[in-house]
Amino acid sequence: MRISRIQIDNFRNFHKLDVRLSDHAVIVGENRVGKSNLLHALRLILDPSLPDSSRQLRLEDFWDGVPRPLVRTDRIVISVDVTDFEENEDDLALLAEHLVEPEPMVARLTYAFQPIAGQASEPTSEQDYEFVLFGGDRPENRLTYELRRRMPLDVLPALRDAEGDLANWRRSPLRPLLENVSGKIDRSELATLAEQVTNATNQILSVEAIQGLVRLINSSLTGIVGAGHTTEVTLGFSPTEGDRLIRALRLLIDGGVRGVPESSLGAANLLYFVLTMMRVAEDEATGNRSHTFLGVEEPEAHLHPHLQRCVFRSLLSPRNATSDSPQPETTATVLLTTHSPHVVSVAPVRSLVVLRRDAPDNSSIGVSTASVELSETEAADIERYLDVTRGEIVFAKGAILVEGEAEEYLIPVLAKKLGHDLDQLGITVCSIGGTHFFPYLKFFGSNGLNIPLAIVTDEDPKVTGKKLGIARLRRLLNEFDDEFEGSDDEIIAECESNGLFLTRHTLEVAMWHCGRRNSMKNAFLDLVRTNNQARLRAKNEWKNANGTLNSAQMLRDIENEVGKGRFSQRWAARIATIPNKNCPKSIKDAIAYVVETTR
Amino acid sequence: MSSRQLGKPAGFAVAVESLRANKEQWAVYNSTGNCVVLAGPGSGKTKVLTAKVARMLAEDVQAPRGVACITYSSECARELERRFRSVGVHGTPNLFVGTVHSFCLKCIVQPYAQLANEPLPIPLRVATEAEADRCLSDTLKRLVGDERLSSWRTRFDSYRRRILDRESPDWHDRDSQAAAVIEAYEAQLHSRGMIDFDDMMLFGLRLIERHEWVRKAIHARFPILVVDEYQDLGVPLHRLVNSLCLGNSRCSRLFVVGDPDQSIYGFTGAQPELLEQLAGDDRVEPIRLKLNYRSRQQIITASEAALGQQRGYQAANAGIGVIDFHPCLGGVPGQAKAICELIPKLLETGVAHGLGEIAVLYPDKNVGDQIAIAATSSGFDSVRIDRNAPYQKGPFTRWLEGCAAWCCGGWRSADVRLSDLISSWRGFWIAANSSADLVHERRALVKFLFATRDPSCSLASWLQAFDAACLKQIALLVPSFAPDVVAFQKIQAACSPGKAMATWSVAQFAGQLSGGDHLKLITLHSSKGLEFDVVFMLGMDRGVLPRNNVTEKGKHEPRRLFYVGLTRARHEVHLMFTKGQHSEFVLDVHRSLNPDPKG
Repeated sequence: MRISRIQIDNFRNFHKLDVRLSDHAVIVGENRVGKSNLLHALRLILDPSLPDSSRQLRLEDFWDGVPRPLVRTDRIVISVDVTDFEENEDDLALLAEHLVEPEPMVARLTYAFQPIAGQASEPTSEQDYEFVLFGGDRPENRLTYELRRRMPLDVLPALRDAEGDLANWRRSPLRPLLENVSGKIDRSELATLAEQVTNATNQILSVEAIQGLVRLINSSLTGIVGAGHTTEVTLGFSPTEGDRLIRALRLLIDGGVRGVPESSLGAANLLYFVLTMMRVAEDEATGNRSHTFLGVEEPEAHLHPHLQRCVFRSLLSPRNATSDSPQPETTATVLLTTHSPHVVSVAPVRSLVVLRRDAPDNSSIGVSTASVELSETEAADIERYLDVTRGEIVFAKGAILVEGEAEEYLIPVLAKKLGHDLDQLGITVCSIGGTHFFPYLKFFGSNGLNIPLAIVTDEDPKVTGKKLGIARLRRLLNEFDDEFEGSDDEIIAECESNGLFLTRHTLEVAMWHCGRRNSMKNAFLDLVRTNNQARLRAKNEWKNANGTLNSAQMLRDIENEVGKGRFSQRWAARIATIPNKNCPKSIKDAIAYVVETTR
Repeated sequence: MSSRQLGKPAGFAVAVESLRANKEQWAVYNSTGNCVVLAGPGSGKTKVLTAKVARMLAEDVQAPRGVACITYSSECARELERRFRSVGVHGTPNLFVGTVHSFCLKCIVQPYAQLANEPLPIPLRVATEAEADRCLSDTLKRLVGDERLSSWRTRFDSYRRRILDRESPDWHDRDSQAAAVIEAYEAQLHSRGMIDFDDMMLFGLRLIERHEWVRKAIHARFPILVVDEYQDLGVPLHRLVNSLCLGNSRCSRLFVVGDPDQSIYGFTGAQPELLEQLAGDDRVEPIRLKLNYRSRQQIITASEAALGQQRGYQAANAGIGVIDFHPCLGGVPGQAKAICELIPKLLETGVAHGLGEIAVLYPDKNVGDQIAIAATSSGFDSVRIDRNAPYQKGPFTRWLEGCAAWCCGGWRSADVRLSDLISSWRGFWIAANSSADLVHERRALVKFLFATRDPSCSLASWLQAFDAACLKQIALLVPSFAPDVVAFQKIQAACSPGKAMATWSVAQFAGQLSGGDHLKLITLHSSKGLEFDVVFMLGMDRGVLPRNNVTEKGKHEPRRLFYVGLTRARHEVHLMFTKGQHSEFVLDVHRSLNPDPKG
């Protein structure tokens, strides 16, 4: 079972949200964009622990853009579509009455907050509103508690007091696990153990010093309130009766030396997650619930980046994957909100949901990667890419995708020269380490995460006169318009209006031609100290016999003597210190394009 | 909470223990596959059925999957629910109990008709009898220029129920005029936004038979299908059962109870052969319950003779019982007079444990008029169930009787529970919009009931006050309540001066509910499922049962009707007929008891 779609009308940040999900969802977005509200919307439908008094929303829960006073037709409507349940007969039995599509089956569960029906006048106060929960787009088909109980959404709130919860018997996720185990222990064995603990306790109490203390406490009590009111006090470990003995067990860390409260916040959080997942797995195994949706809010707090990646890689792994781990596996669907690039970096490629503000009415909209058409290998490419770049790009307000690290180092500096601070603007420059832009365009482009995006690629002219870059652009262009045909110039023009920019020749050569000769030469000379042929060629500005640039030789020298990455780093540092604003056209245009579309 | 968690309620244990002594009942209780229980009169079928369903709910299915229990009428459904409660099965959301119509409507048509693109109105509204009649007469007027229903009703209904495949050549060939009328009627009804009872079944069956996904969904919800009174349910249900339980894949387990010998609703499409056919299917285990816990042996022997079949039923009780023949003069009034003279003797000797344990059964309402007059003039309180009764027993009128019973002491003795009255009352408000209205109206109802707890109050004034206090309001707000308004007005009319119920008190009306101490006047058809110490069969004259000029084949159903009448009695059956004009069935009985034929 999985949620395939979420639609929200007029609730808090959302005017009209409509996002598709594939399985797990990793929800990112700026602060105050509505990540928690999205989870809360789902709780209204799926959380059995939410009381009806909380399901009764308030008028301020209407999206601010709905004109006030509210009229009869204004409603808050939230619906989730659920699919992939039909092969599990328990799930199907639960959802069979709520179908909206038969083949394959899709069930829809809807919450609506609306004026009480049948009222003659316009609603005036909260008393005029009621909430309804129904299935299958049939308002008369009301949803019951039974459904929420069997496919619940559990939400672990942000900045959870994991320590406190673990220490508190009632709230601890350890409790159901221990209680379950306690039921399986042989009663007589338990009685024997309890007796042994009693004996050990008695031995400690028989120590004279301790006995003295107990006597003192009791006599003090009696002295104050008199014998009639005194409850006799003794010292001990825990009630030494079988079941209570098991309940008294506590989690210890560091080889049993320390309790959880003495551990780090991170360790407590980690334990809390693991125990919660175990509890969910157990609830599913015992048939108490058919499926669990686990909402996790910003779980990265207090977790070291490596731990974040480990924990969430396993939590977000494809479900039903075979595993050799001994503990019961949960099939829970995880819906988590995060600000952590580390979490995003291990998120399955189709699980990303980005919330952002929509300029015209300032409501939040959502985009997801669930329905981006990617081949297996393309998906794997992107997953690897996100893993390496640590997912930062997903949080970006805009991005410039480039071929290699040279652009990655140079473009931010050039942008600054042009008066744009890319960090402040939230624009990321990302190298894809090659020229296979197509999957990235699908993933980040308007059919995917819809991040304002420019791509800069090199012309790469061959000695044959053939320009690889043009062919590449033609293919990319067909992503927008598969009918497009035209001359090279027409292609370039069309590409530029779609954010695809072609650097004449290659970046280094284009930089050379736009007037960055000196800094380039000096950066090279900085790095190549040995007096060799390459240094000599650089001093002479890599000139051919006819006085023109021998670009092939220049690129070879940079590659062989320094390495492109190191060279670009040094070059960028030099450029940063000089006022010159020269910049290749493609780069300038790409920056301008992203800065403009990001606004 | 499921019965699993309730443990074993006392009622359940008692019921199960009482099955153990009866070999066949015990075999039914332990059956594991498809099972058809052939249950003769008085064989304890409902006890077996309730115990078995309770067991299946506890052991064989786990919520959210469950059991669908289908029966003939809403009266039967209510009785089953009552019996389920007695063995601790109530409030289980995974048990459906209802008529085949409500099963089709709620579990198939409402959730799936729209998804399967069936041409039905949205939202669905069920036509009242009057609305359906009006639609049919409009159609007849248009198509055949004759709007009288009487000549068409039977032809229309039986054609519609018997030829289910509209695509088959039969549909147009056999009675092309009927086919055209039916199609036009249905189109007209749907265009008015309504469906009728036959639609529910026809569309239910169609959805089941045409769509694999519908079968899959129904199977997921109901892995066990229970059908009671199978002999009364006709071809559509038979095909539904075949499709859901005896198909090639995803078959629900079938548990059927019925008795072909008691099939007396041929006019609604019932065919006893269907049950015989099912019992003969090698995928089904047939079990015949042999012991009759109701009738004494002579009555059993006589009834088998009347039926013309040796079923091998045996009396569980000692005593031989009485079959008496009463040739009378003076036609039906003479027979009725004879009955009224016999009754005091029966009460005197104690054969009947009270007036309420005596029933007069008769072929039709006109005969009913005669015995009603005779009973009234002899001073017997009576309950009358036939088409000429002062009012018809239906869910609404029974509820009204319930309200009266509550006012007459039910509030103290808890025989009638206010919560049940309120929950039935809630049912009248299905289409009601606002919960606020409901609270207000419920208050009005409770206030009225509390204020009128006076058994001696005259029925006429009680009804008038009831109308003013609550009923008027329902009629105003709920259009679907219209037929009940008609029923209510009919009762009021019967209370007007000079009419049958003019002098009734509320207590007398309340007495109609259980009929405890009232003589029962019932048509043979309505007597099914009931039992009495003494049964009078009134009007057993030649030409009445069976009617004149009926073929041998046409005598089967009247014969079964006669059989049903005989088998209602525990101790005595009195056959009343005009001297020298006895029905041939009477003769069959007489011959079986007096092997020496005297006639």
